[in-house]
Amino acid sequence: MTELGLNIPSLVAYLINFVVLLGILIVFAYKPLISAIDQRAEKIRESLEAADRAQEDADNSRAEIQAQINESRVEAQKILDQARNAADRFREERMEQAQEEAIAFTERAKSDIEAERDSAIRELKESFGELAIDAAEAVVKKSLDADSHKDLINQILEESTSAGGK
Amino acid sequence: MASSKKMIKYLVITIIVALLITGFINGAIGSSIFGQERFLEKPAIHLPPQPVFPQSVRDHHLGYSDEHKETKNGYGDAHGESHDSAHDGGHDDHAGDNKDAHADEGHHSTPLGLMDFAITNTMISSWFATVVIVLLFVLGARKRAIIPGRFQSLIEIMFEGVLGFASSVLGNDMARRVFPVIATIFFFVLFNAWLALLPFYQFLGFVNESGTIEAHFIRPAGTDLNMPLALALVSFVLVEYWGIKSHGLGYFKKFLAFGKILKGKPSGIIDVFVGLLELISELVRIVSFTFRLFGNMTAGEILVVMVTFLVPFIATQFVFGLELLVGLIQSIIFAGLTLVFISVATSHEEH
Repeated sequence: MTELGLNIPSLVAYLINFVVLLGILIVFAYKPLISAIDQRAEKIRESLEAADRAQEDADNSRAEIQAQINESRVEAQKILDQARNAADRFREERMEQAQEEAIAFTERAKSDIEAERDSAIRELKESFGELAIDAAEAVVKKSLDADSHKDLINQILEESTSAGGK
Repeated sequence: MASSKKMIKYLVITIIVALLITGFINGAIGSSIFGQERFLEKPAIHLPPQPVFPQSVRDHHLGYSDEHKETKNGYGDAHGESHDSAHDGGHDDHAGDNKDAHADEGHHSTPLGLMDFAITNTMISSWFATVVIVLLFVLGARKRAIIPGRFQSLIEIMFEGVLGFASSVLGNDMARRVFPVIATIFFFVLFNAWLALLPFYQFLGFVNESGTIEAHFIRPAGTDLNMPLALALVSFVLVEYWGIKSHGLGYFKKFLAFGKILKGKPSGIIDVFVGLLELISELVRIVSFTFRLFGNMTAGEILVVMVTFLVPFIATQFVFGLELLVGLIQSIIFAGLTLVFISVATSHEEH
């Protein structure tokens, strides 16, 4: 075996070499680096989870915002409708009122005119009655004299026309 | 733009072909055909590692007598030296003979005794690999940043590769427990194999007076039987440790299966025999682990040396590519088989 190179001190030297290398690597390379790798894996996992959560949150809030927007749109539509209704109603009221006023105004004017006419007729009637009475008195008083009769009639007529002309 | 790219491509191909042809002519095959001086001398293959320190052991190993002592302890840039020797050979007719004589001498070097202590060139290479691994990984893990830089990422990719591999065999929990040892085996084998492709593994050495490297200063640790053996023992201990830990003392029932025969059943003799086979296979693993890695690394080293000798310059690159692959495969096999054996040892099979 020595022809192949078997040598116990060499073997021991290699064993010691290996053990020393193993020790150094465990302390200075394997442990720190493997733990760093593990930490990184943990960190990546956490980050991914956090990202998922954030994504979820964002989705939720987006949906919320969308719902709010829809809601407010509906509300705005409602308000608009209300305003439009109110305006319509107001306009109709005003129109009715104006019509009523106009009608009332014409009615009043008509009744005024009628009242005026009635009073005129009444006055005319009254004055015509007085005139007839006056004429009758004069006829009764001056029945003898034809001329005076004539004059009287003219006089009365004159009076009445001047009164009627008023 | 396209034409300049094409130009560069053709230039590179031309250079490669030229280097190949030059290498072939100056290499061992070409020089014997064309009767030229060889660019490199015939390499000496040493199966056992060569002791480099202390000097007295090295001298004994190389078979030097005392009067040569002062001439052979210089560190040499072997490339430069071999150039010199080639030039010398051109002037001196005897130089070629000398070289062959020295190369033959190399084969007669006496290996270390079983208990002799010396620092071998393979040990130095394993220390070099250890230092490289430690520097790389400790620097890579220094910051422990949650957001890693490029360097830390690279190291993490390597770790996670091994961890993922272990997880696929053993499951997550167990993989984390055995990860340090498995990863260390993996990277130790890998870096020893890959660093061995660096040029100074070939040209740093102790030269004799004619400039031939008698003993390399540094040699791939995988080519030393003791290194795979040490790793195989570590793997064996790890496997048995986890076997005992998961089964308790009942783990040994697998090997010493006397239960049935003690109850008086004659068929129990089969169990005893199976247990014996299990025991042998458990121990043979050490040998198979050892020689698999040793054989692959040694073969690779010899291949590199021989191809460089036959066709110097560029042809070796293809072997280097192959060796990169072999180094990776061997480290995966060593770590993977250990994982599989742990998985077998910890599994609760029902009888």
